[in-house]
Amino acid sequence: MNEIKLDCMYEACPIPLLKAMKRLAKMDIGDVLILETDHSCSIKNVVEWAKKQGHNVDYMEIGEGEWEIYIEKRK
Amino acid sequence: MKFFQKIIKKPWPYWVGGILLGVLNIILLASTGKAWKITTGFLYWGLSFLELLGFNCSDWYYFSVYSNQLRKGETFIYNYYTIINLAVIVGALLAVLWASEFKFKKIKNRRQLLFGLFGGIIMGYGTRLSFGCNIGAYFSAIPSFSLHGWVFAIFMFVGAFIGTKILFKYLL
Repeated sequence: MNEIKLDCMYEACPIPLLKAMKRLAKMDIGDVLILETDHSCSIKNVVEWAKKQGHNVDYMEIGEGEWEIYIEKRK
Repeated sequence: MKFFQKIIKKPWPYWVGGILLGVLNIILLASTGKAWKITTGFLYWGLSFLELLGFNCSDWYYFSVYSNQLRKGETFIYNYYTIINLAVIVGALLAVLWASEFKFKKIKNRRQLLFGLFGGIIMGYGTRLSFGCNIGAYFSAIPSFSLHGWVFAIFMFVGAFIGTKILFKYLL
């Protein structure tokens, strides 16, 4: 199992979502993607997209207006 | 605490935002008699700046095709659109402060700056040709039964689709 960090700080919609899609496609099942973002849209659209794809997903606020989204690739 | 977590902190579902925007837009139109527009306000700010530099903008061909919608007593700076735009900014600020998510955002790198500037300029040019941005030309136009809103909507989706493809393939 690998952990991959994806820096999406200071990036606006829809770049975090597109970056996550691109990175996740290259990962193996069981790997975890940690997406760092300060764009509140991401904790909505990235999380919803990952759930729809069937991945395990959760997020945490790590600072004021900064989040880490954890996506475990399931398929 | 539960109220704070649920209403203030967590993002609302898209349908809640949609309904609220619709209702607020009706209230705004009914109480002011003017449709909600954003970029027209920025146009006026730009014009007042150009006038300061000595340009006479009212001679421009553009303003003989598109009507000037200022009311009596309004200027390029003091008008309906300026107040509405400032209200949007103050409202957004209050919302992020309440959720304690306020943050100064830096420019990530030179690439982001250049693409941001380029995108902003072509967006600004486009809004002037199409009666506004996606607020003025789409969100306010369609409920007003204006055909241009539907034309704008079709091409907005086409543009967003192509833009996302380019972004995904070449720019990420």
